[in-house]
Amino acid sequence: MPETTTLTETKTHVSPQPPWNVIVHDDPVNLMAYVTYVLMKIFGYNENYATKLMLQVHQQGLSIVWSGELEKAEFYVQQLQFHQLKTSLEQAE
Amino acid sequence: MRVAPTLEGGLRIDPETAEDWHILRAILLDANGSETDLATRLGGMVTDERIAEDWRDFVVPDLRESFSDDLNQIQAAIETAAAFPKDGESPIWITREDAFSWYGALNQARLALEEKYGFGPDPESDPANLSPIRREALLRSQFYCALQSFILRHAL
Repeated sequence: MPETTTLTETKTHVSPQPPWNVIVHDDPVNLMAYVTYVLMKIFGYNENYATKLMLQVHQQGLSIVWSGELEKAEFYVQQLQFHQLKTSLEQAE
Repeated sequence: MRVAPTLEGGLRIDPETAEDWHILRAILLDANGSETDLATRLGGMVTDERIAEDWRDFVVPDLRESFSDDLNQIQAAIETAAAFPKDGESPIWITREDAFSWYGALNQARLALEEKYGFGPDPESDPANLSPIRREALLRSQFYCALQSFILRHAL
């Protein structure tokens, strides 16, 4: 009788941590063109996408401009605050 | 006051009267006129308890130092130009390398004025209806904004 081998496969499901959202808030001072310029400079977004996010900030009061892991999100918030944009950091629900 | 772009991709400001020097020096006074400094206000935007303390301890001091450096840099530029006129002119040069510091200093001044006077995005249309102090502050804020637009267009 031939030997039989049983292969056991173990799968581990790890729920990923919810991402962290980098949120830019509207303020009465920063110029719209400046907000677009900063988003292009920091994230490398093209002008169309950066303008779309800037308009969200202007019209809706805030915009999630980036989502992802905490370490990178902290870096981006720091950079945005250095450019004097009102920026917060929140973990998605 | 005359403000013009340079061939090198910067700006040249030529103050012509005592009032011009006064409004340029007012950038520093206005920027420092806020009750809560900008670094603290921005740092306060990070409220998640897992990171807020580190943010206050490590990021906010760096922000404060950077904003202060911007103000010191433009103060030095203004006072150097005032102290050493050449052929009757005292131009202030804003190179591409200086542009962000100038933009940031003007932003600090506008933020502080906004905090103090609450002009909002559409300030009163007729400055004549404002008190003299409020009117002067509005005009300074509008001048700072115009200079920022110029910097953004020609130097950043």
